[in-house]
Parts: sequence; structure tokens; C-alpha cells
Amino acid sequence: MSATSAPARRATKDVRRAPRFPTLHRYLMVLKSGRGITALVLLGTLVALALLAPALFPGGYDEQSSGALAGPSAAHWLGTDEFGRDILVRTIYGLRTDLTLIITAVPVSLAIGTLLGLTGYLNGRLGLFVQRALDIVLGIPGLLLGIMIVLVIGAGWFALFSAIVIAGLPQFGRLARAGLLTQQDREYAVASRTLGVPRRTVMVRHILPNVVDPLLVTAAIYTVAAIFIEASLSIVGLGINPPQPSLGALLNTGARYVQTLPTYVIGPGVVLLLLALAFTLLSDALNKAANRR
Amino acid sequence: MIRYLVRKLPSVVLVLLVTSVIAFSLPRLVPGDPAALLAGPDASPQTIAAIRAELGLDQPYVTQYLHWMQGLFTGDLGTSLQYRRPVSELIGDRIGSTLELAVLAGLLLVVAGIGLGVAAGSSNRRWSRFLTEGTNTTMLAMPPFLAGLLLILVFGVALPVLPISGEVSVLSDPVIGIQYLILPAIALALPMAAGIARLVQTQMRSVQQEDFVDLATAKGVPSGRIYRRHVLRNSLGPAVVAIGIRFGDLLAGAVVIEAIFARNGIGQLAVTSAQASDYAVIQVVIVGTVFVAVMAQLLTEITLAALDPRIRLA
Repeated sequence: MSATSAPARRATKDVRRAPRFPTLHRYLMVLKSGRGITALVLLGTLVALALLAPALFPGGYDEQSSGALAGPSAAHWLGTDEFGRDILVRTIYGLRTDLTLIITAVPVSLAIGTLLGLTGYLNGRLGLFVQRALDIVLGIPGLLLGIMIVLVIGAGWFALFSAIVIAGLPQFGRLARAGLLTQQDREYAVASRTLGVPRRTVMVRHILPNVVDPLLVTAAIYTVAAIFIEASLSIVGLGINPPQPSLGALLNTGARYVQTLPTYVIGPGVVLLLLALAFTLLSDALNKAANRR
Repeated sequence: MIRYLVRKLPSVVLVLLVTSVIAFSLPRLVPGDPAALLAGPDASPQTIAAIRAELGLDQPYVTQYLHWMQGLFTGDLGTSLQYRRPVSELIGDRIGSTLELAVLAGLLLVVAGIGLGVAAGSSNRRWSRFLTEGTNTTMLAMPPFLAGLLLILVFGVALPVLPISGEVSVLSDPVIGIQYLILPAIALALPMAAGIARLVQTQMRSVQQEDFVDLATAKGVPSGRIYRRHVLRNSLGPAVVAIGIRFGDLLAGAVVIEAIFARNGIGQLAVTSAQASDYAVIQVVIVGTVFVAVMAQLLTEITLAALDPRIRLA
């Protein structure tokens, strides 16, 4: 992209006023902001690390060395844990656990929450009832919700998954309903109904695309909250079952050895912060791209 | 105000009722027979039936629920299966620890949140705005547990000036007790204070644009008085609402903070009970937490009306 091509680009801009995939095109704007690029590079690095973990560390997260709770060295950059396992390796495998969790749970929460929020268009009374139910979920602090779920299905991956899905429902549901309420009386929606298009089709084809922007931004913000839900539940000991590492589980045991081996907490803590930072920046960039229109 | 409270009563009761039903249903959602679980693997059917009768599990759910609710109102909170002690005793032993933490954190939340917000919203010097906004953004992104771990690393490990683990009751020994309390309370309060500060700041900025501020300036009101009487008072509304809403989060955050700082409070009780499937304890903790959160929100609305006479509690 040299300076000479700038006029040429400006000329083509007018021709391409209506790109073939307008929504996708708009979201590609994320790549044009500094925050968006930083977020994607950071996230890309973390995902690559997590994906490559089995290749980089073929021994897995359980490989033990001779010394337990050894300080940082050339062989073990962050030292070793109470069983002589490399903390850096466990941190990267923990990152893998966290990423799998949020990549599966947040979209499920987004999808179910959005559908729940849009039910009001199909049946007004049902919509109101769903909102009341969501209000009650919203009133319960996230960690307490997690404890309740652990109580019913037991601690572990699925409890974390459910906690993240359920805690997100009110946020997505209320947002989708707010969007629905502003969109359903717009001319295009009323016109489609008058033309005899079924409510369900109007909802999916016309209303949903118009409420999707704030939902995606919220999904990015909620991902940060999801990371913290995992960490909070794991720190109190109700998260992923050992020996599988997660960032929160590492902080849980690391906090016990903070006096002797500070890197045990610092390593997972920094990775957790970077992960949260990546999604915060991404939500900022998405927000900007969505509002550009 | 009494009329307002009476009008508000139905929705408060509804929330508490739904919460109590959820708390009551939790153990019944678990697959398997709790009586059989309690009796152990080799118990005879007679033993299991006896336990079931003793726990009242052979009665219809509605009767069980009413019985449980009656207990909650009369102070009979049930018996912990894990500790084999009355739940009221277990909670009584630990509530002091959590109260100390929550009260100090709540105070810090209000003072630091509003103080930082006012500092950022009223000063126009670039460096002070940069400083407050910088700290706000950093803390905003940091959940209580990370703030706690950071404080432990800085004030417990790098410069060991404060204790980072355990507790001493403030009532029995104020000087030592406050030392144990200060890091957990800061960790719990600061991230939320950052959110409150940001609200106050943006609100103050927009209130400063209002006509009545210009009018006051034109009248010759000293600028300090304008800030105190006109800007500040009109800026605190959203912050008060946010503090009320976040109070439940403060209690939930206390659970994690207690775990990190090895404090033996209600949060730790809830966690160990969840690990041991000790339902009797958890049910009470859930209902109690939601009760406190609802009360905090009621208090918020009363405070809001006191701040702004245009809001009538009728």
C-alpha cells in the first residue's frame, strides 16, 4: 500500500459502495484500527500457543521433573510446581482449557440469550415472562450462580460451561429484546408482515440482522467476564478438576506458594490479563466498526 | 416514604420467594436419592427409609417447602451434614469475619469511588486527569482476585509489610485486626470503585454543561460552592444506583477474596459446603445473600430520593 495508490483506492470506493457481504465488510473495519490489530495479534498469539502446546511440549501438562517447587531456570522458565511439573507448560495448557471453555460457552450463551430475548415477537406474554425470569437470574451474583450449578451437577468442566452460559443469558436476552422493541415497529418490519411474511421469517431475516451489532460487541465484553467466572470458580476450588490445569486452577494452587515461588502466580496471572486485554480491545474495535455504518 | 415501602413490598417479596424456591429445589434437582447417599453404600432399605422420614423427604414437596420456610423465619436453619452442627451456629461463627470485610470494603468503595470520580471530574489540569483516568482504566479491567494477588505480591512478598493470610477479629484486637483486613478490603473495593468513579466523572462532566451551572456562575456563586451544591449533588445519582446494584457483587467477590487471603468467613463456608454437597448450609447462604442484596437496592432508592427532591417516593 504505497502513497500513490491512495487516489486509485478512493476511486474504487464509490464503485464498491454496496459490498457483497455488507456485515462482513463492516467487521473487517476492525482491522483498520490500532486497537483491533493489537487485539487480533495478541489473541492470535495466544490461540497459536494453545494450539501448538502438544507439539511444543509433547510431554503434556503432567510431565514431572526431579525438583518440586524449584525456582525459575533455563529448563523451567517459571520454575516447577509442588509435583515438579513445569509451570510454564501448565500455564499454556491452562490457557488451552480457558480458550476451549470460552470459545464453546460464549457463543452458546449468545445464541440462546438472543433467541430468548426475541421470543417477545412471536408471543408477547411469553416475552414478558422470559424477561422476568432473566431479571431474576441477573439479580443473582455470578459466583453464587456458579456455586448453585456446582451443587447440582458437581464441579468440573461442564459446571463452568453451564455457569458461563447461564450468567450471560440476561445480558444477551435483554439487549436482544431492547433491539426487538425498537425494530419491530419500523416500516420494513411492518411492511413485511403486511405482505404476509410469517413472523418467524421476519424475525430471523429482518430483525435479527439489525440487532446483531450490539450483541456481538457485548459478546466480546462478556468473554472477559467469562474468563473471570472460570478463574473465580477455580480459585475457590470449584472449577476444573485436577490434574487438568486451567488459569484459575493454577492461581488457586499458586496462591498457596506465593511466598516461596511468586512466579507460580505471576505466570498464569499475566496470561489471564493478556487474554482479558485482548478481548477488551477487540470489543472496543468491534464497537467502533459497528457504529461506523 | 412508608407508602413507597408498602408499594415496593410485592416485588421484593416476589424476588425473595423465587430465590427461596430455587434454593429449596437445588438438592432436589440432583440426580440420586439424598437419603441413600447419606446412609452410605451398605445401608439397608429400612435405614434409608428411616433417614428419609427423619429428613422429611417422604412428604410432598409443598409441605417440605413450607416446613423449611417456617424454619427460616423462626431461626431454625437446619443442620449441616458436613459439620453435624446447626447451620445458625456455623453462620454465627463466621459472619463477623465477612461483615468486617464487607463493611470496610463498602466504605472504601464509596469513599474511593466518589473521591476519585470527583477528582477526575472536577479538575481540568491535564496531568491530574491523565493520572485519575489512567488508574481508573487499569483498575476497571482488573477483577478483585487479580487485584488481591497483585496486592499480595507487592505488600506481602516484595515488601513484606502486611499479613497476607489469615485473620484476627477487629473487635478483639483492633490494631492487628485492621492489618489483616486492609489488603483484602482494598482488593475487593478498588475494582468496583473504579467503575463508580468513572460514572461520577462522566456525570460531572455533563452536569457542568447544564444551564443552571452557568446561571450560578453568572450570579457570582464561588466556584467551590458551585461544585458542592450544584454539580456534585446532581452527579451522584447514577453512582448511588450503581453502588446499590453492585452490592451483591461485593458479597460474591468476598467469596473469592476470602479464599485468596485464607479468611474463614461465610464465603469459605459456602465453598466448602458446595464441595461437600452440604445443601442445608448453601440454601441459607443463597437466601441470605439475595436478601441482603435486595435490601441494599431498597436503601439505594431511598438515598436517591434524599439526594434529589424531584424524585418522590410515592
